[in-house]
Parts: sequence; C-alpha cells; structure tokens
Amino acid sequence: MREHLTGQFTPGTSILHRLDARAKFFGFLILIAATVCTDAWPGYALLLAVTAAVVAICGLPLRTALASVARMGWFFLLIFVMNALFFATDDAIWHWWILTLSVPGIVQGAQVTARLALILVMSNVLTCTTPPLEITGAIQTLLSPLRLVRLPVEDIAMILSVAVQFIPTLLEETDTIRKAQIARGARFESRRLHERAQAMLPLIVPIFLSAFKRADELAMAMEARGYRGARGRTRKKSVPLPLSGWGALALCAIVCAAEILL
Amino acid sequence: MGDPIMIDAHDIRFSYDGPGGRRSLNGAQLHVSPGEFVAVLGHNGCGKSTLVKHFNALLPLQHGTLTVDGMDAADPANRWALRRKVGMVFQNPDNQFVSTIVGEDVAFGLENYGVPEDEIPARVAAALAAVDMAGYENRATHTLSGGQKQRVALAGVLALSPDILVFDEATAMLDPDGRQEVLRTIHRLHKEQHKTVVMITHYIEEAIGADRVYLIHNGKMIADGTAREMLTQPELLAAAGLTPPMPVQMYYDLKQAGIVLARCPLTLEELAEELCRSQ
Repeated sequence: MREHLTGQFTPGTSILHRLDARAKFFGFLILIAATVCTDAWPGYALLLAVTAAVVAICGLPLRTALASVARMGWFFLLIFVMNALFFATDDAIWHWWILTLSVPGIVQGAQVTARLALILVMSNVLTCTTPPLEITGAIQTLLSPLRLVRLPVEDIAMILSVAVQFIPTLLEETDTIRKAQIARGARFESRRLHERAQAMLPLIVPIFLSAFKRADELAMAMEARGYRGARGRTRKKSVPLPLSGWGALALCAIVCAAEILL
Repeated sequence: MGDPIMIDAHDIRFSYDGPGGRRSLNGAQLHVSPGEFVAVLGHNGCGKSTLVKHFNALLPLQHGTLTVDGMDAADPANRWALRRKVGMVFQNPDNQFVSTIVGEDVAFGLENYGVPEDEIPARVAAALAAVDMAGYENRATHTLSGGQKQRVALAGVLALSPDILVFDEATAMLDPDGRQEVLRTIHRLHKEQHKTVVMITHYIEEAIGADRVYLIHNGKMIADGTAREMLTQPELLAAAGLTPPMPVQMYYDLKQAGIVLARCPLTLEELAEELCRSQ
C-alpha cells in the first residue's frame, strides 16, 4: 500500500469533507485573494490562524501539510532571495553591482514566501477533502459563463481534474526513475551544480515519455468507456448551494475583508 | 441460418503508420459465439492488442470486415453503440482511473452515456458487488491492491452492462494473488452473467479455462481450437513463440523417457491423476 501523498483526496467525514465542492472552490479563491491583498503582519497572523484551523478541521496530518511546503523548499528560497536582493530602496545594508540587500527587501521576500506557502497549504486542504470529479464540477460552474463564447468548459474542467490527479503518480514515478538512475551512477546529490544539471537530463526524458504513455493509455480507456466530451454526458442537477456553503463563503469573505482592512 | 455469431472478424489488416506502412495485423480473423470464452494467445508485439481494439472502434478498420452483434464496425455511426456493447479492461489499472475515488470512477462510464443521476448509485453498487468490491465506493484507489484496482476497473466497465468483455492483458501487471483474484472474477462473470469473454494474454495457463483458443503470430491467426487441442501441441505453440504449460512439457518429456501417459494433461491436477493411473 502506498503512503499518503500530498494533495491526494482522502475520504473523511469532517465538515470540510461534507461541504459543497463549489463553496470550497470559491472559498479557496476568496482566500487566495485575501492572501494576495495582505501586506501587514497582523493580516499574516490571521491567515496563518485560518489556515491552521482548516488543516485541523479536515484532519490533514500536520506533517503532510508541512511536507508539501518542504518539498518546494528550493523554490521558496529562490523567491525569497530574488525579492531580498532586487528590492530597489535607498537605505541598503549592502550593495554590489545590481544586487541590493535591504531590510524592506528582506521583509518583502519573507512576505511573498509566506503568501505562497499559505496558498500551497490551502490548495492541499482543498484537494485532500474534495473528490477529483467534484472539483471538476466546481471548475465547470466557475467557468460556465465562458460557454457563451463557445469555450469547451467541460473539457477544460476534465483536463484540469485529470492533470491534478496524475501529479502524485508522476511524483512517484520520478522517484522510481531517480533511484534507477542513481543505481546506474547518476549524481543528483553532487555539490557541483553542472553535475546535478547533467544528472537531471536522463531523468526528464523518461518522465516525459512515461507521462505521454500514461496520457495515451488513459485517453484510450476513457474513450473505451464512452467519453466524448460533454456531449450526452449526465448533467448533475443544478442544486442550489446549501446554507452551509453560503456560511463558508461568508466566513471566507469576512476573512478577506479583514485582510483588506488590516 | 448458421450459428449465431457475436464477433465476426475477417481478414483484418492494420498498420499504425497508415495503409502501406509496417503491418501490425496481417489478415487476422476471429469468430466468437454468444456466451463463448475465447482466449487469444501470442507473444508480445504479435498484434493481439491491436486486433481487439477494433472490436469497440478504438482503432479504425483499415482493411477487412468486422461485425459485432450484427453491427458493422466500419460504420462510424456505430462507434458509441459498439463501445457500450464491448467493455474493455486494459493492462495498467492506474492508467484507467479517471477519479481517485472508487465510486466516482465506476460512475464515469454511466455518466458518459447520460444515465440519469438518481440511477447511478444503485448501478455503481451493483457493479462493485459483481466484482466482490461491495462497499468500496468511498475508498481512494491508491489504497487498493493491484487485484482490487483491476476489479474496480472491471466494475467501471460492467456498470454499462456490456454483452462482451475484452481483457487486454488485464492480469499482466498483477502479482500471482491479484492475477488469481481477477481470473476468478472473469470466470464467474462468464458463468453467472453469461458474458461473452475475449481474453488476450501471453500467459498460457490463463487460456486453459477458455472454450476456444486462438494462436496469433505476426498479426495473423495460425490456429484455433479447444484449449486442449491448442495447448497440447508444443510445435504449434512454438510457432506462435510460446512454450507449452508445464504439465504438457512434462508429458512429452516422460514420453521421450519411455513413459507414456493415457492422455496429455493440461493442469497439475490432471498430471497427478495421470501419473497415479499409470503406475
């Protein structure tokens, strides 16, 4: 049995599991907006509290939530360094060529990194508590106005949902291929950057090949089961959003308003 | 009128590079009666997967004729009816799932054919029960064993109540226990629900329970007959790039050593029986 992978739906009975997928998806978007609007520390404290609360409510193990952030560690470090060194200001602590290190720059870097980490954890909560095809349905609802301009909304939603679902599989595969390449002498752990970059190439090619092969097989299996886009597909009855859904959205809106005011 | 025919394939030729390219099928033919269990045996790359992908119009007919329950596979208008008539289970269960939740995945085919929303849960439950996976609706697929995953994939196909079940090396990626689980389920569905089964495999032992066995080599059928007729002829199997089942091999080895058994055994049980009888 495979251990729980970041972002994969885990059935459960928490309030968040039972909440309407549309409410969760829209709420998630509102919270992203709130995160982007924040630029004061009390605002970050509130968002951290909200994120911690949803993680606790949905029963996502704290280790899993943090592991997703840790996995992106290099990316966060890069974002932090870029912000810290390229922030244009007069009161620089250190200056060399085009690089300027300053207190506002460091603060900016920390804030951007914190925002991204919060959004990452929140998106994990969404995918952990919502079955993939329900997310598809929510995306469809969100994009439905675009039907007016003849955009294939259902197809786009299905593509997104399948793509998200395959991320854990591809991560697992990457790990397998990486181990196979290490066994044959690849140096992923080397301190020399060029050796590491060289080692990545034999990793990328098989992953791409395997992803295409999987996509091809999945497409064939979907067609064999009668998939032909939205045509003739059972339409979910458009049930109005339940009271709990409105409640959740209202809470998200309050958080967003508070962030703007703080 | 002759015997009713469920699948009637004549002189099928196919090339993935388009007509004129290197052929994967070279005039293959196959006849399957309703309720029959047919095994198509051949080594890797002999064209057996390519052949069955014509049955539900996943591949277009380039040459030859093919009718499935009276429907012409060359007619694009029959495509969706064919896919409902012929359920297909593929090799890798992980690459067949559209959802990571068992119930959602089994419902996928039903939704594609516009089955009303309120009918879906009952049909999903019935399909899961038919493969001994009742009550697994809310389980995540990554928590299942290989055999269970493949049975869920089969339930997804069964939910559409197809008359014909095609297994495209459906046991190839499973461990021995998982393989037995899936094979037992296939045989039970054939017996109890009278499904017509076409199983393509390169595991020769899996063909033993079939009503009829086709041997395919280089995109062409080289022989067909009962499992006993086909699997007890080492030269014929060798021509298809296959080795005979162990009891058959043993029978010929004993014969060479001067011990002649009354009949050629197909299974270990039969071999033991024959050995006891010969003493």
